[in-house]
Parts: sequence; C-alpha cells; structure tokens
Amino acid sequence: MTLQECYAAMGGDYNDAIGRLRSERLVQKFVLKFAEDGSYSLLQSSLADSNYDEAFRAAHTIKGVCQNLSLTRLADSSSALCESLRGGTPPASGLAEQVSADYQETVSAIQAFREGISG
Amino acid sequence: MNLDKDVIPLNNQKKKKETILIVDDSDLNRAILSDMLAQDYNVLEAENGQEGVDILEELSKDHPDLSSVLSLILLDIVMPVMNGFQMLEIMRERLWIEDVPVIMISAEKDSANIERAYDLGVTDFIARPFDALIVHHRVINTILLDAKQKKLASMVADQIYEKEQRSSLMIDILSHIVEFRNGESGLHVLHVRTITEMLLDRLAQKTTRYNLTPSVISLIGTASALHDIGKISVDEKILNKPGKLTDEEFAIMKSHAKIGADMLEGLSIHQNEPLVKVAYEICRWHHERYDGRGYPDGLKGDEIPISAQMVALADVYDALTSKRVYKPPFSHEQAVQMIAEGQCGAFNPLVLECLTEISDSIRDEMGSVDPTRQNRREMQTVLQEMSRHEELTASERTLQLLEHERMKYSYFAAMSKEIQFEFTTSPAMVSLSSWGAKHLGLDEIIMDPLHSSKVFSVLDADACRSLSNTLRSTSPDQPDICFDCQLNYQGDLRWTRIVARAVWSSDEPPRYTGALGKAIDIHDSRMRLDNLERLASHDTLTGLLNHAYAKKRILERMNNRPGSSYAMVIFDLDHFKSANDNYGHSFGDQVLIYLADLLRQSIRGGDIAARAGGDEFVIFLEYKEEIEAIIDRIFHSLCGQYKDFPISISMGVALSPALPRDYDSLFHAADQALYTAKRSGRGRYCFYDDTMSDTFCATVRHDAPDAAEHQKEERT
Repeated sequence: MTLQECYAAMGGDYNDAIGRLRSERLVQKFVLKFAEDGSYSLLQSSLADSNYDEAFRAAHTIKGVCQNLSLTRLADSSSALCESLRGGTPPASGLAEQVSADYQETVSAIQAFREGISG
Repeated sequence: MNLDKDVIPLNNQKKKKETILIVDDSDLNRAILSDMLAQDYNVLEAENGQEGVDILEELSKDHPDLSSVLSLILLDIVMPVMNGFQMLEIMRERLWIEDVPVIMISAEKDSANIERAYDLGVTDFIARPFDALIVHHRVINTILLDAKQKKLASMVADQIYEKEQRSSLMIDILSHIVEFRNGESGLHVLHVRTITEMLLDRLAQKTTRYNLTPSVISLIGTASALHDIGKISVDEKILNKPGKLTDEEFAIMKSHAKIGADMLEGLSIHQNEPLVKVAYEICRWHHERYDGRGYPDGLKGDEIPISAQMVALADVYDALTSKRVYKPPFSHEQAVQMIAEGQCGAFNPLVLECLTEISDSIRDEMGSVDPTRQNRREMQTVLQEMSRHEELTASERTLQLLEHERMKYSYFAAMSKEIQFEFTTSPAMVSLSSWGAKHLGLDEIIMDPLHSSKVFSVLDADACRSLSNTLRSTSPDQPDICFDCQLNYQGDLRWTRIVARAVWSSDEPPRYTGALGKAIDIHDSRMRLDNLERLASHDTLTGLLNHAYAKKRILERMNNRPGSSYAMVIFDLDHFKSANDNYGHSFGDQVLIYLADLLRQSIRGGDIAARAGGDEFVIFLEYKEEIEAIIDRIFHSLCGQYKDFPISISMGVALSPALPRDYDSLFHAADQALYTAKRSGRGRYCFYDDTMSDTFCATVRHDAPDAAEHQKEERT
C-alpha cells in the first residue's frame, strides 16, 4: 500500500498535504505518528466523564492535526463535534459516533500502511 | 517542558542560532512545526500557556531583555490549563510582548479571535491548516523585521546622544555657576530640563504644529540649561533678597532675559549653531506671557517660540516646588493647580494641557531625578515618532481640525472631573475619561463591557443590562436617557445618575451604534431626599408610619388592587391617661414604644401600621378569609403588661366589602366601631355594622369577653 492509497482509504487529500507540507517524508512521518497521538483517547474518556470542556479541547486538537495532515474526512467530523461541544455543552447525537467511525477507519488504514512498509 | 532536551544550552552556543518557542498542546502539531524549523533554529516547546509562561519566566531571570535569548513565539489558542489569549495577557502585563514577537497559529478562524489576537499584540496570525513554506517565511520575516526595528531604534538614539553629550556637559557646568550665584538648588537646571523635555514629548504626541522631532526636543532640553545666564549680570544682593523687590530692583532683575540673549548674540563664532539659536530664544523670551503681558518684548501667543513657552512653564513649576529665600516650597499638586488656575502667569492652553496630562509622571520623575533616565525616555520618543509617521495619510488640515477638537474635548474632560464615557457596539467597547477611569478604578478602555467582570464590579450585571436595554429602546428622535443606579467607587457604593445619549446611524432603518454620556454622583442629594422622605413619613417616637403617610399608602394599595378585601383597624390604649398621670410622660412614651414594637411583630409584612396620633393606632390589612381569626390574634398579642402598667386596648374594625370603597368611609366606620367597643366597656374589639352608622346602640362583637374581663380583674 502506498501513502497515496493510504490517504484514499482514510478519506484524506494526499495532494493537498504534499502541497502544503512540501515533503513526502514529512507527511509519512506524521501520518504514522498520528495513530499514536493521545487526543482521541482523551476525547473518549472526557466524553465518558461528561467533561465537555476537556472534550472540546481534545476534538479541537484532532481537528487541527487532521487539517494539517489533510485527513479531510476525520477533520470534517471532528470539526462538527468540536463546534457542538464549544462552550461546554453536550454534543448533538451522532457526532461523537461519526468521529469514532472515521477515526477507526483512519487508524486501520495507517496500520495497514505501516505493515506494508515494514513487511 | 522541554527546556533542555533538543536544545543546545543557550549560553555557550557555538554558532549563534536564533531560538523559537512553540506553544501548542498537541505533540503532533509541535512536532510538525519543530520539524520544519529545527534546521535553522533552536526550538523550545511548551504544552500549554502556563508552561510557556514558566519558560519565559525562567529565561527572563538571567536575561531581562528577553529578545537576547528568544526571537519568536509560535502560539496556539485552544489549550488546556492556560490558553493562548491568557498567555498573551500575561506577556502584556510583564512587558514581554515588547521584547519578543508572537505569531499565533490556530484553527480558530472567526474574525473576533483574529482581532483579539492582534489587539493583544501578536505580530502575525496564521490559520490552520498551514503551508510549510509560508510558515517558514513568516517566521524569518518576523524575526528579521523585529531585529531591524530594534537596531534602528538604538542607532537613532545613539546618534542623538553622541552629538549632544559633550556640549551638554559644558552647558551644565556653565549653568551651575549661575545657579550658585542665585543660591538656587543645584538641581534647578536639571529639573527645568527634565520637565521641559517631558512636556515637549507630550506636545509632540498631541500635535505636529511645532515640528517637534526627537532631536529638536533634545536640543531644546539642552539649551534650556542656559535660560538664566543673564542673571550673571544682576547684583547678588538683588538676586538673594528675601523681601519684596523695589520697582527699581525689579527692573534690574527683569533685565536678565535680554542680557542673556545679548550675551549669546555677541558670540563671535557659532552664530549659526542651532543650539545657540534655540538658547537665544529661551534666554530672551522665557518671561513672556501668552497673553502678551510679559517681558522684555511683550510677545503674544505663538509669537513666543515654543521652546521659550515650555521652559517658562518648567521654570515656574520648579520655582514653585522649590524652597526660595522668599517662600517655602509648594507641593506638586498645589503647584500644578496654581499654574492651571492661572495664578502664576498666562500659558498656552495646549501647553497647560500637557502639564495636567503628565502631572503624575512629573511628580514621579521629580522624586528621583537621575540623568541616566533621560536616555530611556528619549528612546521611547524616537520609537513613537517613527511609528507615528505612518499615520499621516489624511490631509494635514483635516488632521489638525480633528486634533483640535480632540484636544478641546479632552481638556474639558480633564478639567470637569466627571466620569464621561463613550460606548460603541462594534467593536463592543467603552472608553472612559481618564479622570473617570481613575476614579472608578477601571481601565480607560474596556473591551466587551457587557461581559466584563471588572465592569460588573462597578455596576452590577443586571443594572448593566438594564442600562443597555434602556439605551437600545430609545429612538433617533428621542435618544436621551437618564438612568439612576448605584455605582461602586472602589468599595464605596453611591447613587449615581447616568445621563446619556444613544447614537443612531444615519442609515435607513437607523441602527443603534453606541452611546455617550456621563455619570453624576447624586448620592448625597438622594440620601437627603430619602431621609427627608423618611422624616416626613414616619412618627418620630415609635418609628411607625404617621397618619398622613399611612393614608397615602392605603390609598395606593386600594387603587392598585381594587379587587381585594381590606380591613381598617383603629385601636387605642385604655386608661392611657392614668399611665401618664401616675408614672410621668416619659413612661407614657415608653408604653407607646413598647406597644408599637408589639404591633410590628404581630402584623404581616404587607400590612400597614401607623400611629394616628396620641395613643391611637391604625392597621390596614388585606385578607382573603377568616378575618375574625386574624383580628382576634392581633388583638390578643397586643394585650399584656409593660412594667407595672397593664396594657389593655379597645379596637374597632371596618371591612371593605361591606362599605363604600373609599378611605374616609372606612376610617369613619372603624372609628365608630372603636367608639362602640369603648362604650361597651373597653378591653375588646368590635366590628362595624350598619347599625352604628347613625346610632350608637351597637351590637358588640367581641369574641373574647373572658380575656377582657380577665384583664379588668388584673388591673384592679
């Protein structure tokens, strides 16, 4: 699996990422790092604790990182969740679930890509 | 905090790399930025605003000028613990923002956030997702620009000082000789120079009329030291005479201005030196008056060079605040006031305005005159001057007119000692007159005042909203409002009247765009009014309402709630005369006070109780049902004993549903019922019925004959 195929599987925009970050090496490095970032588990735990301020910040971070890496699909759903959480209010129904689904897809695509390059 | 990881120790870098601090809560975001910049810069990282502040704190311990160790900060907005705006606030308080430029990087794209970031002093704003190349270039440009500006400022300042330094040494020596003869404090020359320069700095900020560049200001400051050289020709006996000078002596004294100028004019060389020219102006004309009544030439208004005007003012100020053979020193405040009130000569109003505006700084500066402080002040002037040049795009004429209006406004505002304010809805901002801001303990400019806890500490949130609503509900035809409220003047809660005019745009339909107005302290008059009202409405002995005021309240109550049922009750003390006769009048008063207390305790909050006069009391109450039980309870709670005197009362009650609904009928009926109660043997209560209207053979309705009887027994 190439990085480009991985982007297709993640619903991301490969050309945009390369266009802005200017280096395939950089993009690959940070995409691989993305799976290890703690923001998603922070989002899940703060949602479970109904700590919506913390959840807002976590969603905001995910959105920012995804925008930087042009992971468009997850950027969109986390942005919607983020806006819904702004001001410490509980999220509208379905938004958190959408982020979870998109996140799982993104991470499994990265996993597949990782196995491809190391194997 | 990654102070020591990744980073070469700052003190012994081999090759000098600039350092950048990245503050972002996401590891990944920091890593991306760091990766892009690490090749050319040292990178420090912080996970949130607090860590960022800690790093700056640590660095500033050893490096008071942060810019020597840190060239740039890249700052995120949304972070836990402390967000980017809060960090900027702290950087502003600590003045770090002056030293280190900040670029904000955020996915928050709404313009309010961007505007706020710029307001807080960031140099640039980059939106996420960013382009690596753009970030790289903006970082380079920001660092270069900042360094250039700092170097330029220090170069300009260096040049100015070098040029003036040597000559000012000679001048200081020369002028000290003059002072020595005058018996003045050795600091007079230094004071005059410092004040002159401070006044000129201020004047330069206010107007371009006098072409006061930083080097001109410095030149005038230096030349000011020579203002009294002509005194070298005046006899010491006259200079140091403690008493009043004779006309002849005064004429000699006055000659020093012209003589000083002649001395300079007589110099065979250096005639074209700017310093000599300015010193000539100052020597000759520092005793002229703005109204034309000064000496030696009687120049008027701006015929007097601005250099001489300023030195004259500084000279007068320092003479007032210094001890002289003929007078003790005045305080700074007295001196400023005397000058402002025109007791010490006539000055240009614009110059006076400068004096009152920087009065506080002058007081501080005179407390600690130190020649080295001049450098820093001059440096600031240079920077301000440099940045001001960009703003001169509108036509000079328009600017001057605007400037004139602004000057007039702020002068009057400062003089009037009033809290004046201006509010705009967009941007949501209130600006206060400087006196007003100081008086209330607020900043002169407050953003978003309707959500500002500082504002709420002065005018509480509900009152703020209500004021805002009142202004919004005006119309362009009737925009003026008057709003009474309590303001907290730094701990002192006072009644205040806000008089304001709502500002409506000229569009169609007109939009509410803000307001301007002032707050007037009406506390004392309001308190007087409250007190008078209280005095007029209450019985002084018992503190109950008096009859006239009770009547007013009863009428209001009946008008407001015409559907309700009311009871009018009149009662008096049985055998009160015997209390007065047997124990004295002051005892009688005590009985009345005691009874009034019982009465207060036995009625409900909404009931009206009054002393109608003598030992007669009135109660007015609203009821739904069971009025007899209520009356019975009140009646019994009022009976009892005060010291040796048994308290027994007679009471008449009239009920509104049965009678015409007007005060007089009710009162009259209750009075009839009271009369009936007395006739039936006192110590009882009695409800009015029709049979009492014209005859006194009443049916007595007292449900407590036992109690009354019991009391009679006790009394005997």
